[in-house]
Amino acid sequence: MNILVVLRMIPDSAGELQLAEDGRGIDREWLDFQLNDFDDHALEEAILLKEAGGATVTAVAIGEGANRVLQMAAARGADEVIALQAEDDAMISSRTIAATIAATARDKSADLILCGVQSTEDVFGQLAPYVGAMLDWPHVSGTNRVVADGAGLRVTQERGAGVAVTYEMTLPAVLGVQTASKAPRYVSGSKLREASKTPIGRAALEPSGFERSAEIRELRLPAQGGSGEDLGNDAENVADRLVTILAVNGLTANGLARK
Amino acid sequence: MTGWRARHYVSALANAPKAARFDRPMRRLEGVATAIGLHRKMLRKPLAGVLHAIIFISFFVLFTATIEAFGSRLFPGFSLTPVGGETWIAILQDTFAVLMLVGVGLALYQRYVLRPARFKGSSGSDAAIIYVLIVLIVASLLFEAAARILGGADGSWRPVASVLAGLLGRAGVPAQETQEICYWLHVGAILAFLVYIPGSKHRHMFLAAPNIYFRNLEPRGTAPAVPRERENPGVDTLAQFDWKQQLDLLSCTECGRCQAVCPAYAAGLPLSPKMLITDMRDALAAGPSAPPLVGGIISEATLWACTTCRACMEECPVEIEHLPKIIDMRRHLVDEGRVSPGLQDALSNLTRLGNSMGKPSKMRARWTGELGFPVKDARSEPVDVLWFVGDYASYDPRVQEITRKVAELLSAAGVDFGILFDAERNSGNDVRRAGEEGLFETLAQSNIDAIGECTFNRIMTTDPHSLNALKNDYRHFGAAFEVLHYTALLAELIKAGKLDLVAVDGGKVTYHDPCYLGRYNGGFDAPRDLIRAAGYTLHDMPRCRENSFCCGAGGGRIWQGDDGVTERPSENRIREALSLGDIDYFVVACPKDKVMYTAAIDALGVADKLKVLDIAELLVPRTPPPREPVTSGVDII
Repeated sequence: MNILVVLRMIPDSAGELQLAEDGRGIDREWLDFQLNDFDDHALEEAILLKEAGGATVTAVAIGEGANRVLQMAAARGADEVIALQAEDDAMISSRTIAATIAATARDKSADLILCGVQSTEDVFGQLAPYVGAMLDWPHVSGTNRVVADGAGLRVTQERGAGVAVTYEMTLPAVLGVQTASKAPRYVSGSKLREASKTPIGRAALEPSGFERSAEIRELRLPAQGGSGEDLGNDAENVADRLVTILAVNGLTANGLARK
Repeated sequence: MTGWRARHYVSALANAPKAARFDRPMRRLEGVATAIGLHRKMLRKPLAGVLHAIIFISFFVLFTATIEAFGSRLFPGFSLTPVGGETWIAILQDTFAVLMLVGVGLALYQRYVLRPARFKGSSGSDAAIIYVLIVLIVASLLFEAAARILGGADGSWRPVASVLAGLLGRAGVPAQETQEICYWLHVGAILAFLVYIPGSKHRHMFLAAPNIYFRNLEPRGTAPAVPRERENPGVDTLAQFDWKQQLDLLSCTECGRCQAVCPAYAAGLPLSPKMLITDMRDALAAGPSAPPLVGGIISEATLWACTTCRACMEECPVEIEHLPKIIDMRRHLVDEGRVSPGLQDALSNLTRLGNSMGKPSKMRARWTGELGFPVKDARSEPVDVLWFVGDYASYDPRVQEITRKVAELLSAAGVDFGILFDAERNSGNDVRRAGEEGLFETLAQSNIDAIGECTFNRIMTTDPHSLNALKNDYRHFGAAFEVLHYTALLAELIKAGKLDLVAVDGGKVTYHDPCYLGRYNGGFDAPRDLIRAAGYTLHDMPRCRENSFCCGAGGGRIWQGDDGVTERPSENRIREALSLGDIDYFVVACPKDKVMYTAAIDALGVADKLKVLDIAELLVPRTPPPREPVTSGVDII
């Protein structure tokens, strides 16, 4: 099996998001970037498949900090790592990533592509279906278990209300991973230091060939509406305010007793 | 036979990796002399110390009787009589035989009547056998002498034996036969004892002195580095431990003093430092048939329970090193990725962002924003004091207030200080003790590089954990900084008249010694001086200074869950403070303590009785902090 894993770097949500000057994006210059959590699970699923039955794993990363994440992927067991060259400050559309991944997959004769089911910059989870469509390969998203089964795969997809569906798929295929069969493992600092010597390949972005179907016209930070109240961040005052609010609304034990 | 019974140990030690413990012989001997000659640590428990001292001295005196017993029959004509065997040696033997019985009596009283909890898990039969053997040896010695006196020997130098001789005479026993029987009983019991020793905790009679001699003389705060010849960072077989670590196992007396002071054990976690050692010792005896070390003989839960507070090592009378073993086995677990989700989160955050909270580096110095004056960037201008703030003091909203208080005190005292802003990383102290050596190296190197860019005279830390890493662990990379805790700097400023305090008529307070400030780095007095200088009366808890009880946060515990904890160490500690009576404030000098103890007080619902305050919060400078930045360097030495 030849597995290709997509690793997308996304802005760290713990950081403070600020709008860019043109109001049509976030200011990425001062942000820390981290690996998309779902992509981390996709990488883990690939490594688990490799450990279970043998496979070659190629990790492709895109975004600021890609090199660091690729070293981590190598430490976890990826055989080849490639950084996609992109403008650091730009958000890259899933279509462009999909076109590049499809090209890389052909180039590396991959027969299984794993990526996270979504990311904060792809909330609709478009990457996996795009790649599937471009390559004309079958695709399943929202997987929480992937097992090699002869020449194909048994893929479990999580649905709502505790229902799960298991597909039998033939390769090649594209999967949008929700969670790996096991939680992503910890890679020790000593293994990371060893992996820091791994050569990192480079590849250029492929244009998707699509016309842009929509433009972002304006982004806005959440505005304080009438329905919420900022109680500040001083624990003692917040507690006092909360108790007062609850009491005023008759929701404390005393208040309820009085009712 | 004794040699045969010790063969496993001898071969294990002979094949163990090397350890550099042969330097500074005079200092080593001095330690042996105080530990054994003065029973320094033994006497911390008065009854046990005194009874051990009695048995110990009696043993040496009665050894003369053993020499006589064997000498007289093996070499005909051998006798101690010419050097006083029948005079002063005789009366010493007579007296110490009785003292030995008194010592054993006290031991019996302690073990079977008082029954201290520290003996839980120790071998009961080992203790019982030694009592029986000692009584047998001493009784046979006395009765042999008594029978000799009955047979006409001079009893004037043996008053006790003379009394016994009178009793034997009245009972009408034959002198000659009784003497023979007692002699062979005596010799038989001694031989039985010799054969018995190698398989028992009484090995310590021979190994305690060498184990103390070969003790670690490095600074307490330096965690042992991974030896170069080791293939992987960790240890997962006993044979990978160096000979001193293995000698530790054989020297354990099962006294349980370590267990009695262990915060993890008190919390109900599956760690007893004593059982950790004895379990490994038994596996060493079992040889190749023993189950795997990590996850087998020593469970993962046991290894993760340790707070690395060092109370066990401080207490051990024979200088056993528990922590290096725990850290080495944790290194193995970390290398294999076997870590709890909480620890994995923290370590991943530290890898990615350099702090355990998962906050961006750029927010590290945000606490300075609410200060009335700018703080110097030590990377761009020279400072006298480089302040290494630390994660909790930088990021935790409960602690930031204290951090600003420290900044205001420094400013009031005219100290020229600066910080590293977003170039600072977690010091790696607890990362290293959690077994993550690789990440520790990355963090340490990053800090050393950042510090290397700055011009300064001394480093001050808020966090005792950072203090320890910068002062002791960073030596591993050849970095020798002069590092001091903020309490030490503030005490120095007061003494030099640079910091003038408004002394209040404060109430009674108690003070908690942080492990990494006190036990590890000897910072006991500066915090106490500050408390007094601020006008408060200090009432120490029973467990203070070297015997301080850990809050439960160290060694990476703060990143792990509370599963299996029956009583949090921090709550145990707050109860201790409450038991003092009229204490107003529980004073701390470590950012983690502010967090841990505030939570403990809330959990116990005693916020109306006790409040946690950092020392900095007690100190009120007489001059208000200047609004303008301090520009000129001020000599504070």
